[in-house]
Amino acid sequence: MGLLDKLNAIAETRKNLLPPGVDPFNVVIDEIYSSTEASIGGRRVILAGTNNYLGLTFDQQCIEAARETLLSEGTGTTGSRMANGTFTGHRELEKELALFYGCNNAIVFSTGFVSNLGVIATLASPSDVIVLDADSHASIYDACRMSGAEMIRFRHNNVDDLEKKLKRLGSRTANTLIIVEGIYSMLGDCAPLAEIAALKRRYGAWLLVDEAHSMGVMGDRGRGMAEAAGVEQDVDFIVGTFSKSLGAIGGYCVSIHPELDLVRYLSRSYVFTASPSPSTIASVRQALRVIQSKPQLRTKLWDNANLLYQGLKKLGYELGPDISPIVAIRVPTREKTLFAWKELLDRGVYVNLVFPPAAPAGMSLLRCSISAAHTPEQVACILQIFADIKPLIAES
Amino acid sequence: MTSSQYDIIFQKVVVLLQEHAPQQVPIQEDTELINDLGFDSLRVMEMLQDVEDVFDISYPLNTLSDLRTVKDFVLQIQKIGGNG
Repeated sequence: MGLLDKLNAIAETRKNLLPPGVDPFNVVIDEIYSSTEASIGGRRVILAGTNNYLGLTFDQQCIEAARETLLSEGTGTTGSRMANGTFTGHRELEKELALFYGCNNAIVFSTGFVSNLGVIATLASPSDVIVLDADSHASIYDACRMSGAEMIRFRHNNVDDLEKKLKRLGSRTANTLIIVEGIYSMLGDCAPLAEIAALKRRYGAWLLVDEAHSMGVMGDRGRGMAEAAGVEQDVDFIVGTFSKSLGAIGGYCVSIHPELDLVRYLSRSYVFTASPSPSTIASVRQALRVIQSKPQLRTKLWDNANLLYQGLKKLGYELGPDISPIVAIRVPTREKTLFAWKELLDRGVYVNLVFPPAAPAGMSLLRCSISAAHTPEQVACILQIFADIKPLIAES
Repeated sequence: MTSSQYDIIFQKVVVLLQEHAPQQVPIQEDTELINDLGFDSLRVMEMLQDVEDVFDISYPLNTLSDLRTVKDFVLQIQKIGGNG
């Protein structure tokens, strides 16, 4: 078999599944007008699948902070954090993140994905065990593999199964890292973090929570699911991203353990990749201030999430189990999901199309994510279009 | 662990594989999980959850890449069970 032969299977799947000229996995945004509207394929659409939970990509203060820094510090650092890629802004952001979370230690990485690679693959080694939720993000799976640690899955959000796995480990739990997410990216369901933290305490394990989709969304101060569940003192490591609620790109880890600072010396994804650009860091620092000073954004976000979830439920769509800013609609077949996705786009709504294995348990999903920036009129418009296409999906 | 224990595990594994395999073919020791039974990564994960329950073990994902045949799978379950 030649090197490229394995790609033939992908080419065949693409040919069989996608009509000519339609590729939901290569959508180009021709022009972006705001955090909720853009032009795709020459048509103005409402963006309902961008993870832009607080709508901060077009926040004027964030843009101004980025613009000023772009002019004063240039377009990029051209180096890794370990070499010439740590500017004052990177260090200040680490201090501000630590302060935000009420702990002393933070590391800024170049993306959320590499934050997981850098932290997990450095913390765990072949003599350790990682017990991870089955629906964990690809970056967590890749990081676990890179660590060489023994990888054990527990059924998604199933506390009984997690306990079984911990019990079987016996004294090895002292070297066991439990990994979960605050809100899961595909179905938008929430981790039962209070119960998971109780098990962590009972069995003497360690706990890492990926708050990529819950930071800025959950908790009175927007710190995420650990804050909302009241278990921040039990969480050893929190990993997050700048590319969702904070409206930019980059990632971080914070911890109550001072040893986190040493991770930066061993983490290959910190040492061997360029650091975030200074202007990105400036916009993130401003976005972090906005999250703290404007809790009303979270209220608006949850109002919109409730509106969308309840509206779609009323229309008879099969949804994920929890109300959250991620609203996943399960459609019976891949073909019907693709049909619905294309109808939505043609009628003016962009959502994500998700096929297995990206979606759990073999599901095909229309994945919506709502923003605090959506107006009630936009939410009503999204719901109307979903209502219009419902009979068409059944007939397709 | 004795050969009779191997046989008991084998019989249980055959039942589990038949429940989850996309392609229903007679299952022998040298039957291949992917090429003969048509398992993909998602189905393997679903089947593993049942294997863990039936044998009361935690199956490390790291060892999955070494699996090719049903015999490999049975031996691995035997090994994990033996380790407690």
